[in-house]
Amino acid sequence: MIDVIATRYYYLATFLLLGVGTYMMIGNRNIVKKVIGVNIFQTGIFLFFIASAYLEGANPPVLTTEAPHVSPLPHVLILTAIVVGVSLTAVALGLVVRIYDEYGTLDADTLWEVRADE
Amino acid sequence: MSDLVPFAVAVPIVGSVLALLAGLVRSKSGWPVAVVASAVHVGVAAELARRALFEGTVRYVVGGFEVPYGIELVVDGLSATVLGLVAVVSLGVLAYARVAGPRSNPFYAAYLLLVAGLTGLTITGDLFNMYVFLEITGLAAYVVVASGDGGRSAVAALRYLLIGTVGASLFLLGLGYAYIATGTLNMGDLATLLAEYGHTTTLVQTAFAFVVVGLLIKIAVFPLHTWQPEAYAASPDSVSGLISALVSTVSAYALIRVVYTVFTPEFLAANPLARDLLGVAAAVSIVAGSVLAVAQTEVKRMLAYSSVAQYGLVIAGVSLVNETAMIGALVHLVGHAIMKGGLFLTAGLVATATGARTVDDYEGLAERLPAGATAFGVLALAMVGIPPAVGFVGKWYIALGAVETESWVLTAVIVGSTLLTLAYFARLVERMFFRETPVAAGDAEAARDDADVGADVTAADGGDRLPAPGTVSLGMYAVVVAAAALAVALGAAVFEYAALVEPTVTSLLS
Amino acid sequence: MTEIHSLRPVAAVLISLLATVPILASRGRPNVRETWTMLAALGTFGVVASMVPGVLAGDTYVTDFGTFVPEVSFALRADPLGILFALLASTLWVVTSLYSIGYMRGLDEHDQTRYFAAFAGSVASAVGVAFAHNLIVLYVFYELLTVATYPLVAHDETDEARAAGRKYLAYTFGGGVAVLAGILLVFVLTGTTDFTAGGIAGLAGADPALARAAFGLLVAGFGVKAALMPMHSWLPDAMVAPTPVSGLLHAVAVVKSGVFGIARVVLDVFGPDLVGDLGMGLPLAVVAALTLVIASVIALRQDNLKRRLAFSTVSQLSYIVLGLAVLHPMSLTGGLLHIPAHAFMKLTLFFCAGAIHVETHTDDISNMAGIGKRMPLTMTAFGIAALGMAGIPLVAGFVSKYFLLIGTVSAGQMVFTAALLVSGVLNIAYFWPVVYAAFFETPDRSDEKPVIGAALGGWVARDGADQWLASDGGAGGRDGDPTDDHGYADDHEGQGPVDSAAAAEHIDREHGPDYRPEWEHRGWTGEESTWFMLGPILFAAAGSLTLGVVPDAAVFLRIVRLVVAGATGVSV
Repeated sequence: MIDVIATRYYYLATFLLLGVGTYMMIGNRNIVKKVIGVNIFQTGIFLFFIASAYLEGANPPVLTTEAPHVSPLPHVLILTAIVVGVSLTAVALGLVVRIYDEYGTLDADTLWEVRADE
Repeated sequence: MSDLVPFAVAVPIVGSVLALLAGLVRSKSGWPVAVVASAVHVGVAAELARRALFEGTVRYVVGGFEVPYGIELVVDGLSATVLGLVAVVSLGVLAYARVAGPRSNPFYAAYLLLVAGLTGLTITGDLFNMYVFLEITGLAAYVVVASGDGGRSAVAALRYLLIGTVGASLFLLGLGYAYIATGTLNMGDLATLLAEYGHTTTLVQTAFAFVVVGLLIKIAVFPLHTWQPEAYAASPDSVSGLISALVSTVSAYALIRVVYTVFTPEFLAANPLARDLLGVAAAVSIVAGSVLAVAQTEVKRMLAYSSVAQYGLVIAGVSLVNETAMIGALVHLVGHAIMKGGLFLTAGLVATATGARTVDDYEGLAERLPAGATAFGVLALAMVGIPPAVGFVGKWYIALGAVETESWVLTAVIVGSTLLTLAYFARLVERMFFRETPVAAGDAEAARDDADVGADVTAADGGDRLPAPGTVSLGMYAVVVAAAALAVALGAAVFEYAALVEPTVTSLLS
Repeated sequence: MTEIHSLRPVAAVLISLLATVPILASRGRPNVRETWTMLAALGTFGVVASMVPGVLAGDTYVTDFGTFVPEVSFALRADPLGILFALLASTLWVVTSLYSIGYMRGLDEHDQTRYFAAFAGSVASAVGVAFAHNLIVLYVFYELLTVATYPLVAHDETDEARAAGRKYLAYTFGGGVAVLAGILLVFVLTGTTDFTAGGIAGLAGADPALARAAFGLLVAGFGVKAALMPMHSWLPDAMVAPTPVSGLLHAVAVVKSGVFGIARVVLDVFGPDLVGDLGMGLPLAVVAALTLVIASVIALRQDNLKRRLAFSTVSQLSYIVLGLAVLHPMSLTGGLLHIPAHAFMKLTLFFCAGAIHVETHTDDISNMAGIGKRMPLTMTAFGIAALGMAGIPLVAGFVSKYFLLIGTVSAGQMVFTAALLVSGVLNIAYFWPVVYAAFFETPDRSDEKPVIGAALGGWVARDGADQWLASDGGAGGRDGDPTDDHGYADDHEGQGPVDSAAAAEHIDREHGPDYRPEWEHRGWTGEESTWFMLGPILFAAAGSLTLGVVPDAAVFLRIVRLVVAGATGVSV
């Protein structure tokens, strides 16, 4: 068990991040913090991908030798995913600004209630 | 000549950029741009669908990188169907949106981006590419949902965004597991390598679980549907028509693609539990969605919950792993898109013409707005599954598949879903045709006496609750009536279609 | 026996279906609209009738539109059984259209356009049900029939009408679900759903348990529209509809489509032999026998004329089902012949009830004493049809009941013979008082009718017409209803004071010879009502007599013989 924790700590970190992100999304009433929660959740997944690409004793992915090398594909994928994540955050924050303008609050519970009154 | 394939994605993207740029020159110039782009898109989609259905699968390798390293675009019978649907529905909704819809250029830019995302999702042959298009679709969908006036649509969009992102992220996570197991992301490649790795290994099972749950969130299957009713109900009428017809539909397509092309039926055979869970999710969704729909007072929310139930039917067809049921799921996917999109647009038309948005507002609608009430009635009955409308044919195929595989519980739920659907639509039909207009709305009727059908009508009861009714254009009527006619007429075309798509389905199931 | 490819079966369906368009289009001009209705009715009848000689000669007419779902073609086929139902529905549509014009205009009803359009749609669906070539097509039209008749049931737009409409939809679509499940089973077991005289061959070799389940589902599903107990309760409620609707649809088209479905299942899907082998005939016969006796007993206690007729319908339909379930060639003949026989007779009765309602607004039998003076022709026709219902010779009901009795005796199932006889006696018991009251009583001198009139559970004082007490303590008085109720009362006691008040308006001391109150006298030459209503009444009554006096000359019996010979190989 200790052994697993010692050698696979990055997986632990991944699931810690996923947990923190999920909790923030559900447990936090502030919608900005909810958005941050989504970001942390995604970061967990990014870490998972990058970690999976790591190989013991590998070289950087520049093919000069026959030696084993780090898989470059996950890096590229995550680069794309980060771009997607950034645009999502932008849209989300845009919506938050509009909601704040409209209702003057960022509290999720109040917002759902206001909605129900409409 | 397979170079045509990338154009299916490129055309709407270019249109999207053009719409934004045109807005710099002249405001409200987005609509013509969108129509041109959408019309070209329909042409491309039609040609691709023709080739895929009559000549066999069309493949294209992006940038000349060889499969499995590069990204592949594939159009087979399955994707051709959904591609055609996306193209036609998005053009149809544009005709509706000219007068009804949001008119800003950024809206049309997002609209075309949504179409591009849906198209990409449909024709991609690469799992990570699918994730990217899933997110593009999602992003554009959040934006168009938020394009309504007031704060309600923004709140709904944010909620949609939060839950939708989790869904897409879970998809990404599952994809990561599959990648770790195999080292490839090409769908065809994944299928063979996952089988080699072993379908019963925990890694592959976890990958399946994450990917499927992620997609079920996007499809809005009970109990993962919580974003959906509010997103449909709060968005502008044209938008709810579009997204109800396409977004979940294409996500369901993605589910079929992932389950059958990537994980293959052998995976389901090796993991009966996965198959059973899909079946249970389907049955629960059908029942719970219908029950929730009955409880709604707002028409658009009711329609939204009805979608939850109808996608249950589609998932049921997917979970049966049977050729007939699969064709049924496809037919119902297309049929539901036409019917539900039509219903939302009709609901929008009714709201524009009379201000009626709740179930009670619909009382006596047949007198006030005969065309709208009739279209709504026809679409509702088609949805209930009255033969020979397309709603019946899809259900027939799925039910037949359920009997063939001897899944009796599912058969009972599918056949019984007719009654459940009837439960919520009968309320409306009865109110529209067999009740008098309430007195307050009768005043509006009087005020309308000397005006045309399309002319303004004063708000039914209390202008502060209902938005001021606007103009109903000929385009809106045309789209709504076309949807109703299609819903009935498509039923007759299903057999020819089934024959065309059969080779694809057979190859999916083998 | 040759198959002739012809457009005539589809034309029969399309004429009435397409007629809905001009009917709806000419909404502002009633005369034009009714012309369209009549043209469509005559056209449909003409097309159907033109196929009769061919069918009698052994031909069938087929229109095939190609495949609808795999292995199932969307085809319409006029075979003997189909032509029987189609001929019946289209003939009576002509008559009912005329009657509807008189009735709807007599009451100055609202939404007549919708009414006539839905009527045309219903008949199109009924003819479609008749000509369906397989179970799927039958199901398609069966469901369309439900949709098309719903506006007719809910026509009044009162709470009662809407409740009846809801109940109607829930019951019939519920039945539709069972039918669909049954069709699925048959299709999976045999790979086909085409009707084959004598049964689909593949079913005999199928798993008996599944075959039984399929039979059960199909019969239960069709049994809803055939009003088999305990699935009958929509029928009396649906009587809230205008009387021509109750007449044509709830005594002819809708309920008969259910019976027709059962006939198709027994004769052309399973085949009488297989039904017997599976042991499904007996349970069905028991249900039918119970229904026909119980419904007759309930009918005894209905004071409202339309409700009494409704329960009589429930009972008579089970005659047909019983005949089919006994499976003997004779009983099959009797059951099938009872389809047209009952249609003509029950239509007469409903038309009479409607005419009485339009002319005098009298709906309760207890207020009809002496009404024969006011409406002599109508009540005579009523009497003839009532006699036929009870199975008195020379009227249609006798011939079919005769075959039924012979059939049950020949099959050795004397219990059912007894049930039929008991029900016949009950028929007289609940129809005769109406005729007796009409002709042999006067408003102030009517006899006690203890079995029918007494409150259940003991005597309750009934002094004067304005006190109306039932033994359950409920007072039957209803507030005046602004819209017309088409002679329907929502409880079995009838409408009491409202109705007697309506009747009283037409009862005058001056009409009596010695200053006793009596109904106004009207002559026998049609001054009692309009010929729009009297004509159809007399036509239907004459039809009942023709079927009874010269059954062999009337075409229906010949068709029935053909059907039975095709299904069983025995000619009767």
